[in-house]
Amino acid sequence: MAPVDRPDDLLRLEDLRVAHDGCDVLGPLTLDITARRTGIVGRNGSGKTTLARVVAGLQAPTAGRVTISGIDPAKDRRGALDRVGILFQNPDHQIIFPTVEEEITFGLRQQGRSKAEAAAAVTAILTRFDKLHWRAAATHSLSQGQKQLVCLMAVLVMGPRWIVLDEPFSGLDIATRLQLMRHMARIEARILMISHDPESFAGYDRVIWLEGGALREDGPAAPVLARFTAQMRHWGDADDLSHLAG
Amino acid sequence: MERSIALVALFAALIAGLGFIPKFTLAFGVPITAQSLGIMLCGTVLGARRGALAVILFLLLVALGLPLLAGGRGGLGVFASPTAGYLVAFPIAAFVTGWIVERWRGNLAVVGAVASVIGGIVVMNLIGAVGLSIVLGKTYVESLLLVTAFIPGDLIKAVLAGLITASLAKARPASVLSRA
Amino acid sequence: MISLTSPVETWAHRWPAGLKLGLMSLATVALFATEDPAILGASAFGVALLYASAGARFARAGARQLWPLWPFLVLIALWHGLSGQVAAGVALTLRLLAAVALANFVTMTTRLSAMIEVAAVLLAPFRRLGLSTRALEISIALVIRFTPAIARKGGLLSEAWRARSRRRPGWQIVMPLAALAIDDADHVADALKARGGVLPIPDTDQKG
Repeated sequence: MAPVDRPDDLLRLEDLRVAHDGCDVLGPLTLDITARRTGIVGRNGSGKTTLARVVAGLQAPTAGRVTISGIDPAKDRRGALDRVGILFQNPDHQIIFPTVEEEITFGLRQQGRSKAEAAAAVTAILTRFDKLHWRAAATHSLSQGQKQLVCLMAVLVMGPRWIVLDEPFSGLDIATRLQLMRHMARIEARILMISHDPESFAGYDRVIWLEGGALREDGPAAPVLARFTAQMRHWGDADDLSHLAG
Repeated sequence: MERSIALVALFAALIAGLGFIPKFTLAFGVPITAQSLGIMLCGTVLGARRGALAVILFLLLVALGLPLLAGGRGGLGVFASPTAGYLVAFPIAAFVTGWIVERWRGNLAVVGAVASVIGGIVVMNLIGAVGLSIVLGKTYVESLLLVTAFIPGDLIKAVLAGLITASLAKARPASVLSRA
Repeated sequence: MISLTSPVETWAHRWPAGLKLGLMSLATVALFATEDPAILGASAFGVALLYASAGARFARAGARQLWPLWPFLVLIALWHGLSGQVAAGVALTLRLLAAVALANFVTMTTRLSAMIEVAAVLLAPFRRLGLSTRALEISIALVIRFTPAIARKGGLLSEAWRARSRRRPGWQIVMPLAALAIDDADHVADALKARGGVLPIPDTDQKG
């Protein structure tokens, strides 16, 4: 499915900096992202998740600016709802409600849709994923992969122009991962996906490699991923596990 | 705002969760459950207002028919039973406990324990006994004598509430809203 | 989560929740206004008939829910038996059973969603005082969602404890359980915020 190209579908980071407890964890970072599929790679602690939270507006940057499709996601929460959705690493942290239907309905009601509209949209998204029989299912009884799919549907149903995925495949078996990847490949919205697994970026346009909160490389997916993999192997032979942060 | 709602709701769930811990029986045969420990913790950790809100939310769900009280009890029936006075006392006890912790800036373990004794034992039983005397047809003084059997267990819980709050303040300093 | 609603559908399920709650409140006030053993006996018998009319399975489930009252019944029996006020003791027992059973009957025959609707109506006046009923709805859903999660985490923690200890855990797991609840609260706050937080909902239902 071809994405609807809007001139303002631009994710712009201007001199972005994030600090936790006075300690810099990300930036300074200046980037313009317009690609349909953009990957963010890096090791644990490279600032990937912080970047995801800032882009989704869950956290305001310490300095600098984030603009996503024309708005500041941390300040304009109402505007952010139809511009950016985020899928957390752990679906248990994302699911709020006792049943699948309530979970998917929540975001729609937040956008100001009526109960009837929301119910119709829930039916539509469940039908699209061929999961109509999940409607009344209890969310805590689902498997990890099923929960992740519920989270994805709950985000997609809100029709955001951007979707931020934070390690969506960690903890899933290979078959479940492949199924989820297939669902994600069909998504019209622009995707910004964080992962440390180069294989999950099949079909991606651009990859950004973060190291220690700073930009290490940025460019077309294949060559950046190749150099990232080679570097990870090299570091794998060394022992830097013993270094403590700070 | 979101964080307040989440903390209030999760502490309401925590009160319910503590009801699932099997009750243990003191040497002289009085069973004690961890649920009233949850009430004390709401006050010592969340403070007066949010602590009382968490308890009210918990009671609302009990009234709506969820079996969240210790032993899987719930529904409107518990509000007509002899212990109904205690249900009324729950949020007030949490409020008083939280109010004391918010104002008295001493050692958190000590303040938390003393506040739990005043809010979670004194206030709780003074109000709870009113319910007992109405439903069981006893005088107020007779009802107060009946509940003294539970005080040793409650004292243990008050000390625990103080210790738990102090260790939470070390492990998750930002979450002890009563001292924020 | 399991609620205390009845295992079988009865005629009383079809009555509006508000009506049932109103009648129950009136009946409870009346029960506490009288001391007459004859009236209280008739009331208790009436409540028993109510349960019987809903079928044997329903009546058994209802009787089970009265079981937690036994310590109080023993107390009344001992106290009033020893002091010779038998009539007063019988009246107290009948009133206690009738009032609790009647309230349980309403709970058993009313779905949770119907109860929440009544609660929303009753709380509507407080909206003018600044109470966000939206925040309340979300909070109710959160508690329903997190109680089994916290109970399960308590189970996992006590397993982790027993894996390295010969003794059963007790209060020792309360502190890690509270810490887990607090961490969860942070995640939930994020999840709420990611989808708009506690924004007031525009009144779109009236238009369509």
